[in-house]
Amino acid sequence: MAEGGDVEWELSKENIQPLRRGRAISALHQALSQQQEGDSSAINQQRQAFESELRMYDGDDPLNVWDRWTEQTFPQGGKESNLVTILERAVTRFTEENTYFDDPRYVELWIKFAENCPEPLDIYRYIQAQGIGLKQASLYIAWSEEYENQGNCRKADLVSKKVSRRGQSRMISSSSFTRLCRHVCPDRAKTERVSLAELKSRGKKKAIAPINRVGSAIRSVHAGMQSHAAPALGNASNIKLAVFDENKAHAGPSEPKLEAWMAPPTSKAKENEQKPGVWCDVKIPQKTTFGHTVMAPPPPKPAFQPFVEESDQPPTMTPCKINPAVNTVLSARKPCREETPLKRLQDHHQQHNEAVSGKPQEQSMYCKELLLSGATEFCFEELRAERYFKKMRQEVGGQKDEASASASN
Amino acid sequence: MVLYRSSMNIGAAVCLVLTCGRGRCGSPRMERISRCISLRSWLRSRRWMKLECTSLSTEKLEKATCVANTHTMSLFGTTSGFGAGGTGVFGNATTDSHNPMKDVEVTSPPDDSISCLAFSPPTMPGNFLIGGSWANDVRCWEVQDNGQTVPKAQQMHTGPVLDACWSDDGSKVFTASCDKTAKMWDLNSNQAMQIAQHEGPIKSIHWIKAPNYSCIMTGSWDKTLKFWDTRSPNPMMSLQMPERSYCADVVYPMAVVATADRGLIVYQLENQPSEFRRIDSPLKHQHRCVAIFKDKQNKPTGFALGSIEGRVAIHYINPPNPAKDNFTFKCHRSNGTNTTTPQDIYAVNAISFHPVHGTLATVGSDGRFSFWDKDARTKLKTSEQLDQPITACAFNSNGNIFAYASSYDWSKGHEYYNPQKKNYIFLRNAAEELKPRNKK
Repeated sequence: MAEGGDVEWELSKENIQPLRRGRAISALHQALSQQQEGDSSAINQQRQAFESELRMYDGDDPLNVWDRWTEQTFPQGGKESNLVTILERAVTRFTEENTYFDDPRYVELWIKFAENCPEPLDIYRYIQAQGIGLKQASLYIAWSEEYENQGNCRKADLVSKKVSRRGQSRMISSSSFTRLCRHVCPDRAKTERVSLAELKSRGKKKAIAPINRVGSAIRSVHAGMQSHAAPALGNASNIKLAVFDENKAHAGPSEPKLEAWMAPPTSKAKENEQKPGVWCDVKIPQKTTFGHTVMAPPPPKPAFQPFVEESDQPPTMTPCKINPAVNTVLSARKPCREETPLKRLQDHHQQHNEAVSGKPQEQSMYCKELLLSGATEFCFEELRAERYFKKMRQEVGGQKDEASASASN
Repeated sequence: MVLYRSSMNIGAAVCLVLTCGRGRCGSPRMERISRCISLRSWLRSRRWMKLECTSLSTEKLEKATCVANTHTMSLFGTTSGFGAGGTGVFGNATTDSHNPMKDVEVTSPPDDSISCLAFSPPTMPGNFLIGGSWANDVRCWEVQDNGQTVPKAQQMHTGPVLDACWSDDGSKVFTASCDKTAKMWDLNSNQAMQIAQHEGPIKSIHWIKAPNYSCIMTGSWDKTLKFWDTRSPNPMMSLQMPERSYCADVVYPMAVVATADRGLIVYQLENQPSEFRRIDSPLKHQHRCVAIFKDKQNKPTGFALGSIEGRVAIHYINPPNPAKDNFTFKCHRSNGTNTTTPQDIYAVNAISFHPVHGTLATVGSDGRFSFWDKDARTKLKTSEQLDQPITACAFNSNGNIFAYASSYDWSKGHEYYNPQKKNYIFLRNAAEELKPRNKK
């Protein structure tokens, strides 16, 4: 690797979402080096290429396009890169196509999508209800890991058991390994490394800081299973290696019922939602003419006469830049509809069902799928222009071949 | 009553004689006409003229082709004189849905979808129409007083032409294309030179004539809005937009640009162009077309915005009562009253305001055009359905002629594209049909 390339990668390590299977270093370098250039950069061209390829693809396997482009082109994984949008579009696009339900790539897309969602467990349950990826062990592994992240080892175990039931022999070995380690988990939780234990308070103050290990921190304990398991076990000398005993029946709760989702799941962690909502119904009458914040009702006049200095000036009105004709400065914010990605999926599914059952209220007479399928929308002219450019490129390519052929003659 | 044999309506064109010509004092004759001729007699005369014209059509054809052939520059490549195919002048006895409104067909229409239409400004005598198309060309026709259209000249780009406009004195035509350039076409010398360069296809081009400056405004899919002095290769100003520009309109001192992701920005052009306000879109779907309207004092006061799902929003910039004054209306939908079958929703492809009456015309993917009165909030007229979408429309400077183009707008993707299908531009008498409902 050239030195310059190394430096750039090192400088922005924290901005790159780590991938399980690692990233192609060339794509990463390109993505990072172009980020400073602004809009007219190769990364935008790449996105453009992705968008156009998505719409021009004529073959049998559109999933291929999504698969190839999603990870490599968007290293940041954050809002800017639209990764979540793309994933959402990808899963929504194929949600009705049963042929893809067992395709490992499609299941991978779902798993990535779930990881980026606020409520992954709901997504996993939805997937199961829809019958997607029932034969893919990767789904169950990811699902059980999600349970673990939330501390629900029992459920995680139950889910992992499903894998064996599905009979995917290839995956059994790894899943049984995870089960093995998970059986270690309950003990471990108690006598973990000091850094994960409760903080001891010092002195007279008894305030204890709460520990809240976020997903990735917990996961890292399990991620490099092979490498970490041994030394961790070695450190905690109290733990005996519990051999997995099939006969040890878990008197666990029955399997979570596989109901079809009738209603969207309510989001539990309301306070963590990014969108603000209405706090309460009380509305304060608002003065909007000059854009000042609302003043509390003036305090009752004091009994004495406050001393007023002679030089005291009455407060002057600060000049405001807001056009007085525009009187919608401080209008009440409308309560935002809670729209989790899962809800959008539900709506989409519902609409599709409606369309299939033949009772749509309105029908859009344009190619909605073509326009809206990518991360960003297209208009008719852009679609047509893409086709035109593609044709031009082919022609130019053909001409070049001819020219070189004639030149070589 | 009378049956029309010919699908080509030359009669309406002949009527343009009375209405299109300039009065001696330079004011349009239309007012005098409306005072002198009652509606019934006007209709009667119109019908009579139609019959007359069908028998005389051969003569006029020959005259027109002669005029076309005398031009030295090669005109319009493949189609010579009148279009090929039997649906032209001589017409079919069977109803041909390519021109159900029996309007005047413009001769030598472009070979591919028409993206834009524009009439010459009032400073120029006569009516000239320019139309840009996806065949990489922009053509100019003279619309004569007798309704005849004469192809005059054309210019080529290296990519499809997306927009075109006139300079204020009518001597130059500016064209914007997918080849990321804009050109200035001097009609007198028939020379075109490049005046603008973007990093993406240029979607809109407008001429701005301010008291202290004149320039071209180009909006592109590279998310920039640039202003060009035609003499310099570098832009006078470049404004960054949040998304790709989809449509724009300019009526000094106001400019409106509608972008992807339902963005809407208003610019003020006094002194120098600057962003005035970003507006939350009144529509829920992709923006497709925008047109500025003026108030009674002839100042721009708001705009009409059309979306991809059969709806137009009328939005005032500083209304006394925004909730009441701004509104949206549904248009270009099928099965209006029939609630059992699903309603088909079509895109609104273009909006144009009548220069005199202030009423508006919308054209859509459904192949219809409609006239509306936004102040009375009523529909004035909807046309019959053409067999192709209508992609562009324009009014001439005095509002007597309404031009609309019938071609494929790509609303259903490339599968529905038929390169063999003919494209048309129709001219219609707009003097009467666009009168507002309530007399002011």
